[in-house]
Amino acid sequence: MRYEPKQLDSSIDIDSDSTESNGQRMQSFKGVGVASGIAIGPVYLYERTSHEVELRAIDPNLVTTEVQRFRLAVERAERDLKKIISITREKLGDESAGIFEAQVLMLHDVALLDPVIECINKERCNASYAVKAVMEAHRQRLQASSSEYLRERSNDLLDVQDRIISHLRREKLLSSIDTNAIVVAENLTAADIILFSRRGILGCALDFGGATSHVSIMARALGVPAVMSLHGMTKQVKRGDMLILDGFKGEVFINPDPTTLRGYQEKQSRYIDLLSAQKALAPMPSVTKDGHDVVLRGNLELIEELDLLEEHGATGIGLFRTEMLFLMRGRLDYTEDEQLEVYRRIVERVAPEITTFRLLDLGGDKMLPVAHREHNPFLGWRGIRILLDRPEVLLPQLRAIYRASAFGPLRILVPMVSNLREVTEFYSLLDLVKEELIERGEPFDPDIPIGIMVEVPAVALMAERFAARVDFFSIGTNDLTQYALAVDRGNDLVADRYHELHPGVLALIKRTVDAARQHNIPVSLCGEMASKPRATPILVGLGVHELSAAPTYLPEVKRVIRAMRLEEAEALAEKALCAADAEEITTMLDTWLDAHDCGLSHFLKFSESAPAVSAS
Amino acid sequence: MIVRTASRFGSEFYIQKDGYEINGKSIIGVMTLAAEQGATLTLVFEGEDEEAAADAVAQLFADGFGEVK
Repeated sequence: MRYEPKQLDSSIDIDSDSTESNGQRMQSFKGVGVASGIAIGPVYLYERTSHEVELRAIDPNLVTTEVQRFRLAVERAERDLKKIISITREKLGDESAGIFEAQVLMLHDVALLDPVIECINKERCNASYAVKAVMEAHRQRLQASSSEYLRERSNDLLDVQDRIISHLRREKLLSSIDTNAIVVAENLTAADIILFSRRGILGCALDFGGATSHVSIMARALGVPAVMSLHGMTKQVKRGDMLILDGFKGEVFINPDPTTLRGYQEKQSRYIDLLSAQKALAPMPSVTKDGHDVVLRGNLELIEELDLLEEHGATGIGLFRTEMLFLMRGRLDYTEDEQLEVYRRIVERVAPEITTFRLLDLGGDKMLPVAHREHNPFLGWRGIRILLDRPEVLLPQLRAIYRASAFGPLRILVPMVSNLREVTEFYSLLDLVKEELIERGEPFDPDIPIGIMVEVPAVALMAERFAARVDFFSIGTNDLTQYALAVDRGNDLVADRYHELHPGVLALIKRTVDAARQHNIPVSLCGEMASKPRATPILVGLGVHELSAAPTYLPEVKRVIRAMRLEEAEALAEKALCAADAEEITTMLDTWLDAHDCGLSHFLKFSESAPAVSAS
Repeated sequence: MIVRTASRFGSEFYIQKDGYEINGKSIIGVMTLAAEQGATLTLVFEGEDEEAAADAVAQLFADGFGEVK
């Protein structure tokens, strides 16, 4: 448990260590914000049932009734699941519904039904106990497996077990949930959060989980503000406690004092205003006051996020990260045909706009299923380095993307390039792919633009030579900044030294843009910096006229673009390049933004503390 | 996948591995069998449509469905 009694937000005047509210001390917790939004409301403590099943002897005359009860509970659990499947399909697509379909199969499974009924008949025990005993035996066997995939499936068994038991208890757990409450639990399944959101919960705070877990993805898709990794918070709250949940910063306050509460109520209403203002901005053109276009594209990683593009006025996809497609399967042998199916759906949806697929970018902080312990993973085996070493992973992906080009316009982005030789090697593999597809008679676009991520300082410094060899650049500012400044922003001791607005980082961006111009190739920027409206004037001024960010951030960026003139931005960028440090540049930008009345000051508080869901 | 295919047939279907036998129509059974790639399995079909069932399941293996779903 991380208990952080210190003041957490300078904009809100609190003294959380000692403040009392209704005689109760305010407590604050820091976790990971996984779904944006602010929720304020009473706690609904959701506890898993499986811990508390007791063995009860059943009257011999009632054994048949007990078996009947069990069958009825299974039927009801199936009805729940069918509901969940239809919602999942609608919100997240067929592939995600698969896990729940497997659960329906488990409900009908002879390996569950027969032994449970036998146990009730023979042992004359209560159905809940029989279910638990049978399922626990199965789970133990799964957990002993050497395959991580199978070990994780034991959670599905637990889920099925809980479903049946909760119906046996006739507790009707879910319907008893207080609406207008914040659900606090050790952990939830994706299915739980779907049912909860249908009952109109305000938010969700979990002890476990992280930004890429299934339940987080679901929370984001459903728009339920959520904070995870709260390490033991469930032990500190009780039902009915007042809670504030900040899905941006990943903070939770239990029984807030009046000042904190007021601060957050204001923040919440500002956020609601902001959402409606953003809605109005989405359809407006992204053009400066003096008529220069700045293209805004979306960063996506799941097919289910496609709706967000239109909702937030994005023009095509500037970065589609393919890692998640692989990671969600838990293995790398993703066949060409399976990948094609996904890529085709994306390209068709986004056409006539372009989709930019980044090749599988594993390593660094992204879990690598091929276990390889590295002392310094960020300087290790990642991106193109892995792909060139593992053609059995790269080639099917390339073939699938090339085949998808028959269905709409797309580009390919190569991650983590640091040497020209890697580009040469990559092109020779590309020739193999094209030859094979021609031989097979598959239609494809032979002129798909091939671009590289500019995220290693050396590449920015010799960008002219890369620009002569590739069709476009995409600047990845997250890695570029950490490599240029030698700061790991995940390290608390130095994280405050990580700053994208460092003049050295800006110089690398400038160098890249100039080289791209010289060779007449497009350059876009897809790091987190692209999502920060404060950085927008400088980026546009440096000559980056294509920004790609998570779609939800685009309307605010557009607001700044529409408020500025290109030559002003260029003058500002010029000045920033000569500044002493990031702090000076930040002050410069804030003054500029205030003068342009971008209505930003309040937004910055949200966006700059927004969840860093995944680095680019 | 294997469970769904086998369930279409009336025949009983068992999978044996290392002297341990499970019902092939049971998803929990198939999962707990923890069939890793490269494991040697014995498939047993018993019933009126045993040949058709055996063919359908054999086809799944031949197509390399790869994943126990």
